[in-house]
Amino acid sequence: MLLPEVHLVAGTRAEAARLAPVATAMHAAGLLAPVLVAGGRRPALVASVLAAFDLIPDITLPVERDTGGRADLLTAMIGHLDALWAERTPAAVLVQGDTTASLAGALAAGWHRIPVVHLAAGLRSREFDPPFPGEANRRLVAQVATLHLAATPLAAMNLLDENIATGDVLITGSTTADAALALAARRRPFENLQVAAARARSGNRLVVVTTHRRESWDAPLDRILAAVRRLVRRYADLDVILSSHPNPAVRAQVEAGIGGIPRVTVTDSLPYPDLARLLREAYLVLTDSDDVLEVAPAFGVPALVLREDTERGEALHAGCARIVGTETDVIVREAGTLLDNRLRRDAMAAAGNPYGDGLAAFRTAQATAAQLGLADWPEPMPARADGSRSCQARPR
Amino acid sequence: MPGPTEVVAFYAQSWINCDRGAVRRIIAPDAEITWNLDDAVDDEELVQTLHRIAAFADSVAIVSTTCVGDRAALVYDCSAPFGTVRVAEFLTVADGMVREIRQVWDAVALRRYFPGLLDEN
Repeated sequence: MLLPEVHLVAGTRAEAARLAPVATAMHAAGLLAPVLVAGGRRPALVASVLAAFDLIPDITLPVERDTGGRADLLTAMIGHLDALWAERTPAAVLVQGDTTASLAGALAAGWHRIPVVHLAAGLRSREFDPPFPGEANRRLVAQVATLHLAATPLAAMNLLDENIATGDVLITGSTTADAALALAARRRPFENLQVAAARARSGNRLVVVTTHRRESWDAPLDRILAAVRRLVRRYADLDVILSSHPNPAVRAQVEAGIGGIPRVTVTDSLPYPDLARLLREAYLVLTDSDDVLEVAPAFGVPALVLREDTERGEALHAGCARIVGTETDVIVREAGTLLDNRLRRDAMAAAGNPYGDGLAAFRTAQATAAQLGLADWPEPMPARADGSRSCQARPR
Repeated sequence: MPGPTEVVAFYAQSWINCDRGAVRRIIAPDAEITWNLDDAVDDEELVQTLHRIAAFADSVAIVSTTCVGDRAALVYDCSAPFGTVRVAEFLTVADGMVREIRQVWDAVALRRYFPGLLDEN
């Protein structure tokens, strides 16, 4: 019997990582046929992340573009998805988050009146300033989506505040954490040779640093690098692995700041399995990445946030992350507090992971099947790790 | 007779430029019009609402236009003094006129950044 197809649209590496566990869960449930659609500026990167999960794109959209902005990409992706779905109409389309690919997928599906399932729904920064269109994208996707899968109760409340019907919202947890846990559990060798060499020769405590946001470049990055220098100087049992943005100017700035310092390894963007394994092995994470902030609690690793705010407020409320900004003295002081005292470090992770219990992909697969009348609705993610108090259930 | 691409471009530029007469001329009298806002909409109400938006906005930019046969999908950013509202629009063209309009607004942002807009309907 042919199963109804659900097309999962991924345009970035992060999207691929979030959707891969869902495709795996759909395969396992046997109710739906997941079809992975790779698009975006670099479909090959999407494929490389899927490969880590032993998946391949079923369809690759020919929209690789080295030139042109997000608007060109949006137009190209809508056009290609429209053509695809005119010929091969899925029972539902699943998009995630706030990227150009997500918006294109939602709009093209809405154009064909195909049900849209929105994963990681309900995040809100309330920040519309260019050049970051994420907030506008996710709000518009919310208007098109027929099922909103929120990672946390706060995200669900954001949707309810915007008059999204309660019955269309389900708290699933984050599939990012599912993905990281699945990859780390495989304990595959590091793909990045620098990282492999650094980890092979050392039993030191590991601090992982990621600084990829444009707001962190230039002066803030200099201050972050100064903090790394001071921490390595102060703690002789510390290794630092810093994942740098591949922009040549940024990489040069990083190399000038900490290149050649013993026990410091600078890399380009890491393969997703490498990042997951490093986060599992880390003592502490310094990051400006929301995705890393979602994954670190899954491994019980505290995160210090190298920016002035974050959309992942749940991590702050749960105590597993702390905003430190980009001032050198503050970073060194806060990191030093956790490096000096293991108990303080461990206490940050004591409240558990606010982003999931490892079952988000299962709930997503079942909820999508339920949306199509093929399964019962799953229970939402419990609000507490022990499951003693459930989040508001779907009123069915 | 102009093709769908020209019709869509004429429609979009007409409402962006606050030319209500041109918008009325390009929308077919029996056009099917829907949007995701609370109130029901007909062609005249759509024309008036778009006019008020264009008049109040600092700018209306077409972010994306995708034309396929007689159908088109557009994405606009309507920048007002307090913030920007993104809207998607799906059009169907026939016989040189717009026969179907389906609008998907960021309804929350629209109410916030274009205060009173929908109250006037």
